[in-house]
Amino acid sequence: MTAPNLASGSRLRRIGWIAALATCTALYLMLHLKVHAVRSEVVRAERQIVALEQQKLLLETEFETRSNQLQLAAWNRVDFGYTAPSAAQFLANERQLASFGSPRAAGAPEPIRVAGGAGSEAPAFPRLVAPLAGEPLDEALIEPERALADPRLAENGGAMRIPLGAVIGSAAR
Amino acid sequence: MNALAIPAQVPTARVRLVDVRRRTVLLAQLRMLLVGAAFLALAFAALLRIAWIGVVEPAPHQRSMAAALLPARGEITDRNGVPLARAFPAYALWFNPGAMDDGGPPLVHSAEAVAARLKAIFPDLDEYAVARQLASGKAGYLRRRVLPEDANRVMQIGELALELPRETDRHYPQGTMAAHVLGYVHDGKGQVGMEAALDDRLTDPGRRGEPVALSIDARVQGALEDELNRGMRSVNAVGAAGIVLDVDTGEVMALASLPEFDPNHVDEEGRRHVFNKVTNQVYELGSTFKPLTVAAAIDAGAVTDLSRRYPATPFPIGGFTIKDSHPLGASLNVPETLIHSSNVVTAHIVDDLGTSRMKQVMADLGFNERPFIELPARGFPIWASGDWPRLRAMTVGYGHGVAVTPLHLASAYAAMVNGGIWRPTTLRKVAPGEINRGRRVFKASTSARMNQLLRMIAVYGTGRNANAPGFRVGGKTGSAEKPGDGGYHRTTLVSTFAAAFPMDRPRYVVIVMFDEPKGTLASSFQRTAAWNAAPTVGRLIPRIGPLLGVLPDESRDVDLTDLKPLVGDES
Repeated sequence: MTAPNLASGSRLRRIGWIAALATCTALYLMLHLKVHAVRSEVVRAERQIVALEQQKLLLETEFETRSNQLQLAAWNRVDFGYTAPSAAQFLANERQLASFGSPRAAGAPEPIRVAGGAGSEAPAFPRLVAPLAGEPLDEALIEPERALADPRLAENGGAMRIPLGAVIGSAAR
Repeated sequence: MNALAIPAQVPTARVRLVDVRRRTVLLAQLRMLLVGAAFLALAFAALLRIAWIGVVEPAPHQRSMAAALLPARGEITDRNGVPLARAFPAYALWFNPGAMDDGGPPLVHSAEAVAARLKAIFPDLDEYAVARQLASGKAGYLRRRVLPEDANRVMQIGELALELPRETDRHYPQGTMAAHVLGYVHDGKGQVGMEAALDDRLTDPGRRGEPVALSIDARVQGALEDELNRGMRSVNAVGAAGIVLDVDTGEVMALASLPEFDPNHVDEEGRRHVFNKVTNQVYELGSTFKPLTVAAAIDAGAVTDLSRRYPATPFPIGGFTIKDSHPLGASLNVPETLIHSSNVVTAHIVDDLGTSRMKQVMADLGFNERPFIELPARGFPIWASGDWPRLRAMTVGYGHGVAVTPLHLASAYAAMVNGGIWRPTTLRKVAPGEINRGRRVFKASTSARMNQLLRMIAVYGTGRNANAPGFRVGGKTGSAEKPGDGGYHRTTLVSTFAAAFPMDRPRYVVIVMFDEPKGTLASSFQRTAAWNAAPTVGRLIPRIGPLLGVLPDESRDVDLTDLKPLVGDES
C-alpha cells in the first residue's frame, strides 16, 4: 500500500517541480520581453529627443539669424529710428528720483504725520500682487533689482558700476 | 499521433469498389496530414524565431544621446552666450546622375524643366547654369545649405537624381558681424580669426560639446560696426577699424575691420577683405601718440610743471623742420599742447625726456612686438632698433617713425588710463579673478593726471565732437599723413580717435580709425579726425555705454578745476 502512495507522492512532487519550473520560466520570459520592450521604448524616446533637440537648434539658429544685429540695425534705421537714451533718461539713485518732486507750495496744508513705531496703526507696506492672478509676487523676482541698487549706493567714489550679469540675470528669470 | 499510424498495406482480397474507396480516403487523409504538418512546422518555426528575437538577440543598439547631440565642431558664443558660430545640420542639394541606375537619362523630365522647378523653390538660383549642369550629366553640388522645408519641396519634384545629403555646416547667425574675429571654416579647417586659433579646441571630441565664450559682446560689436560703417560711408573712406577694450581686464569687447566679409559665404571678393586692419595692419597713428609721450614725460619727472611754456615756433633739427599744421602762437603749455595737438612742443618735451627713456616707455607699451591677441594674424610693428637719434625720438613722440596696429594703441591707452598697468589683450572671456598679469608702465598718479588731460581735450580741444553728454569721454585725435611714393601725402590721411570713458573711473578704451577719409558734406569738408573719427566715437559711446554698465550722468565728471586756468578761455 505504501509503494503506490510513495510513487504517487514522488510523481506529484515531480509534477509540482516541473510546474514551478515552467511558471518561473514563463515569468522570466515575460519579464525579459518586457525589459526588451521598455528598452526599445527608451531608445525610441532618446531618438525623439535628439530629433527635437536638432529641430530646436535649427529654429533657434533661424531666429538668431533673422534677428541678427545687422538686421535689427537696418530695421531701426528704416522703421523705428530709436536712438540711444540720453543722460537725462537715467536715474542714478532714489535721491535723484526724489529730487524731481516739487517742494510744498506756500500755504499748503501741513501733511498729516503718523506716529511711527512697532505698535503704530500705520498699515503695513502693501505686498506686490500679480495683476491678473491676484497672488502675491515671489520675493525672489524683486530681489535682483534690490541687489542692483545697493552697490550703486555703496560705491561713492568713481563711476557707477552695474554688474553686467545683474540685468541679464533678472531678465532671464 | 494516431493519424500517423497508416496501415502498411491494403488487403487485396476485398471487394474492389470498397478497396478503391478506402484507398482514396486514405490518400486524402495523408495529404491533409502532410499539409497540416507543414503548417504546423511553419508556425513552430515562426514561434521559435519570435522567441529567438525576444530572448537571445540583443535589444536595439542604444545610441548615446550625448554622442548624437555632440556637434561636429564646437560652438563659439559671445560673452553673454549669444551664438556667433555653430555647427548647423543642413541639407545640401547634390546632383547624382547615376541614381536612376537603368542605363537611361539621369532625369525624368528635361534639364530645363527641372531647373525651372528648382528656381521656383530657390528664387536666387542661376537657372541657366543649373540647367547646363543637369544636362552635362556630371555629379556635383547644385546648392549648399538647404532648409528642411525647401528640402521637402525638392523631394516633391520627384527626381531621383536630386539627392539631399545631410551635411554639417558652419553657420554664422550674425552674418558679417565680427567676421574678422571669428574667421571662417574651409574644408573643416578654421581659417583666420578664432576659428583658426581655437581649431584644436573646437574639434576635440572631449571638449567640443561645450561652447567657447569669447570676450566679444554681440550688441557692442553690432553698434561698433554700425557706427563705423556709417562713418566710413559718410566720408568715403576706403576702410575703417574699431576696437572697444576693457581697460581692467584686457578683454576685447568689440573689434571690427571694414570692409567686412561674409563668413557664411567667402567668395573672391570676401577673401580680399579677410585682412584684419585692427591686428594686422600697421599705421603711423599720428597725434594719438602725444598723450603717451606726455605721460612718459610726467612719469619720468621731465614735466613737473604743467604751466611751463614751451616755444611753439617751427623747430629745425638735423636738416628737418618740425612744424605744426597751422601756427599755434609763440608758446604753449602742456595742456594747450594736447588740446591744440602741437608737434613742435611735443618734440621739445621728448627732448627733455631723453631718447632712451622715450624708447623704453614705447617698448614697455608693447610697441616693439606683435600685439598680444589670440588671432593668428598679428602685424609686426615698424620699430627702429638700436639707439634712437634725437629726431627719431621726437617724431615718434607725435606718432611718426613708428607704425603700430590700432590694437597696440588701444592697449597702450588702456595702460595709460587704468592706473598705469599694461595688460595683454585677449579675445577669450576672462573669469573674475583670472585676469592676465600685467606690468606697470606708468605711476598711478601719472595715470590720474592723464585722465584729466584726456578729458580736457574732449571738453576744450579737438575731441569736442566725441564728447557724448554724461559719459565723461576723454580722448585724442590723430590725423597722420600716409607714407607713399616720394614721402608723405598731404591729402591721404589715416584719422584716428583714441578715447576712454568714463574718465572719472575709466573702464573702456574705444579706438576708431578711418583709412583715407575724404572731405565730404558730412565732415564739413574736413579730413582730420576731429571731423570724422571723433563724431563717430561721440555717436558710438551713448549706444554702448549703458550696455557695458556705464550709465550717463551729467552730475559726475573728472575734476578739471586745477587745469582749467592753464588753458585760458578756450571753452
